[in-house]
Amino acid sequence: MAEFSAAVYQNEFLPDGGTDVNAIVTVTCQGAGTAGQSGAGSAGEIIIVDTSGSMGPATMAAAKEGAQAALAEIVDGTYFAVIAGADRAMLAYPQVSNGPGMVQMDARTRHDASTAIDRFVGSGGTAISTWLDLAGQLFSSVSAVTQRHVLLLTDGENRERPGRLDDAINRATGYYQADCRGAGTDWQVAEIRRIAQALLGTVDIIPSPAEMKAQFQEIMRNAMARGVADASLRVWTPQGAEVLFVRQVSPTVEDLTNRRTPVNPLTGDYPTGAWSDESRDYHVAVRVPAKAIGQEQLAARVQLALGSDVVAQGLVKATWSNNSELTTRIDQQVAHYTGQAELAQVIQEGLAAKAAGDDATATTKLGRAVQLAAETGNDEATSKLRKVVEVDNEETGTVRLKRAVEKADEMALDTASTKTTRIRKEPTS
Amino acid sequence: MNCPSCSAALAPGARFCENCGAQLGASAGAPAPVVVGAGDHPLGDAPISAPTRKPAAALPDPPAPAGRRPCAECGGEVGPDLYCLECGTKAPSERDHFQEQPAPWVAGVCDKAIRKGRNEDAMALLAGAEPGSRAVLIVMDGVSNSIDSDVASLAGARAAREVLRMPLPAGMGTPQSRDAAVRKVLTDAAAAANTAIVAVTDPDSPNPASATFTAAVLEGRRITWANIGDSRSYWLPDAGTPVQLTVDDSVAQAQIAAGVAREVAETGPQAHAITKWLGRDSEDQKPTVGSLDVAESGWLLACSDGLWNYASEPDALAAQVRAAGTADPLALALALVAFANASGGHDNITAALARVEVTGPVTALGHNDHSTTTRGGEPSDG
Repeated sequence: MAEFSAAVYQNEFLPDGGTDVNAIVTVTCQGAGTAGQSGAGSAGEIIIVDTSGSMGPATMAAAKEGAQAALAEIVDGTYFAVIAGADRAMLAYPQVSNGPGMVQMDARTRHDASTAIDRFVGSGGTAISTWLDLAGQLFSSVSAVTQRHVLLLTDGENRERPGRLDDAINRATGYYQADCRGAGTDWQVAEIRRIAQALLGTVDIIPSPAEMKAQFQEIMRNAMARGVADASLRVWTPQGAEVLFVRQVSPTVEDLTNRRTPVNPLTGDYPTGAWSDESRDYHVAVRVPAKAIGQEQLAARVQLALGSDVVAQGLVKATWSNNSELTTRIDQQVAHYTGQAELAQVIQEGLAAKAAGDDATATTKLGRAVQLAAETGNDEATSKLRKVVEVDNEETGTVRLKRAVEKADEMALDTASTKTTRIRKEPTS
Repeated sequence: MNCPSCSAALAPGARFCENCGAQLGASAGAPAPVVVGAGDHPLGDAPISAPTRKPAAALPDPPAPAGRRPCAECGGEVGPDLYCLECGTKAPSERDHFQEQPAPWVAGVCDKAIRKGRNEDAMALLAGAEPGSRAVLIVMDGVSNSIDSDVASLAGARAAREVLRMPLPAGMGTPQSRDAAVRKVLTDAAAAANTAIVAVTDPDSPNPASATFTAAVLEGRRITWANIGDSRSYWLPDAGTPVQLTVDDSVAQAQIAAGVAREVAETGPQAHAITKWLGRDSEDQKPTVGSLDVAESGWLLACSDGLWNYASEPDALAAQVRAAGTADPLALALALVAFANASGGHDNITAALARVEVTGPVTALGHNDHSTTTRGGEPSDG
């Protein structure tokens, strides 16, 4: 049985008249087990492989091998299906035209699915909305499946009337999760990130076909380790308070603020998807009415809820003090993740400006990114930034845009922008 | 052992959870009552009359609070994590804020105060069911620079309450004999408090717990009081002249006696230095005892300096009682605590009240004239 715990890192002391409370809440899950094995319902996995005409022979071969490797990671008994995606979505396996669109994994179905994947041929365009919709239909055709996960690989830009993809994302949001990968450099990071963020998954670039197999294996292994099918971050705030934002900040930055589902007038749920044995950090910012010096109050109860059961709780407090030594301290964790969230933002804005030809803005934003990456000890971001800009001075964030930049390096910087690093934790209370 | 409220690990013998402040089981929390053995009987060898020993005359303890009180701020329900489920206000632990109401006409509130870290005041009350029959108000103020004075003051107050559970003795019938017997009982009550404080003090404590002591007993129309330190008892008649019954054992009081104005003395640097206290390093545990017969309706108040700091003169306190405008002793105690918190709340606040209702015919001497009340006992222990 999975066990959750929550720890809060904050400076609870507010100056006279202070209203804004920031806290990092670390939620840890242990003993998650394996997807679909808790007895509460079955797990379902759908692998979507782009089979549009843009897929070159090497990429297609690697994608087939990757998808087959992913099949090997799916635990026997798990419901699964394979979709070939082009200007429309085709159910490659199981080959049925009505009834349940997924079958349970065993040696025979694994072999048959592999054979179906072997027959993939690239042709046609890219209409990702149809892929997402078919996945949703397949999941809903097997009522036993309660934990739904998609692995999506594409290599090109979506070629659909604007709005179609967003509508399909909306239909899938809250129904299934999706980890997305882009092969090569002809796909749009922002587009695929939109899918992954809405569907509580990851996004990354697979620059060379050689890396495909390992990436697929890892994604599927992680998916299978998620023994807790679904959970919500439940945030209670007192009467008269305002939630400024709720953000996942580790392992990646994901703004959840607008994804609140009200539980009651003071409480809302934010989606977190499935859990494996892992630890995630959330940054919760709440504005409360100021109280008198010496008063203490609760600014938020941050809980992890499985359905209606609250399985962990962290208390975010506010205490008004006239001791400036107490009130001016910024919690190390809060400072760190505030910097990391800004880092993600300035990388994305900088690259967007660069793509739009606005070199001045790009230089400023990416300079700030270099500075933040150094300050917060994000070595991965630092090394990826150095492939895009020449760094004159890390401390001041003085940089120049490199003249010749590999497209893949730029995309890798973009996809990794939301990845954060952690710092050692010392409880504040 | 883990906290039943937040699951945090608990130190052995802990009375409160260090993590969430939840009060732990009564067995862990209640100080052991000090049993007065036959050898040191509360009435000692003073002559006693048989009726005072009737067990039926012993007053019962106030009822335990029923569940968690609603939030003091908004009236909302308080969650298991001890914060209000509506407004998030931290509910005080039972030690930081408690109320006792042994009978509808007697109640007290003992509160940490907004500017203070913990509640070192203590209170223990008793009352007969019939209004005006018999009430015991004990207030103790743990000295804040001594160790564990919060534990000590509560143990002391409850030990003294045991001694005062039975009606005061009537002596052999003469006023002198009665006064001597009463003084003996109140002295024994202070001694029991002292014994309890010493019993909970770590023998190795470099700074042993100490506390003030004030007890006010109402029996019919007679108030009897005893005092050590600077907690006080007041008689606050509805219409007549209010009086401070106790005389502080403090530097400020000594200065007042030497002619310094009260306001100057009570705000000076030594204002809160007391010259007598209970505890292991106490040199004199004999209280000052006195009594007063009242002839009109009003309030008997026992309080700590957390209240009188903001209304020291009897008239000022009486004004606060009038401003509260309530005949309910618990509502009045809460109002006085709120007044002290609103005035600064720099020290723990205790206010214990008994309502005296005189409905009989007004005596020929008149009920507004303070001179009609008779003072008995001794003004000091000299």
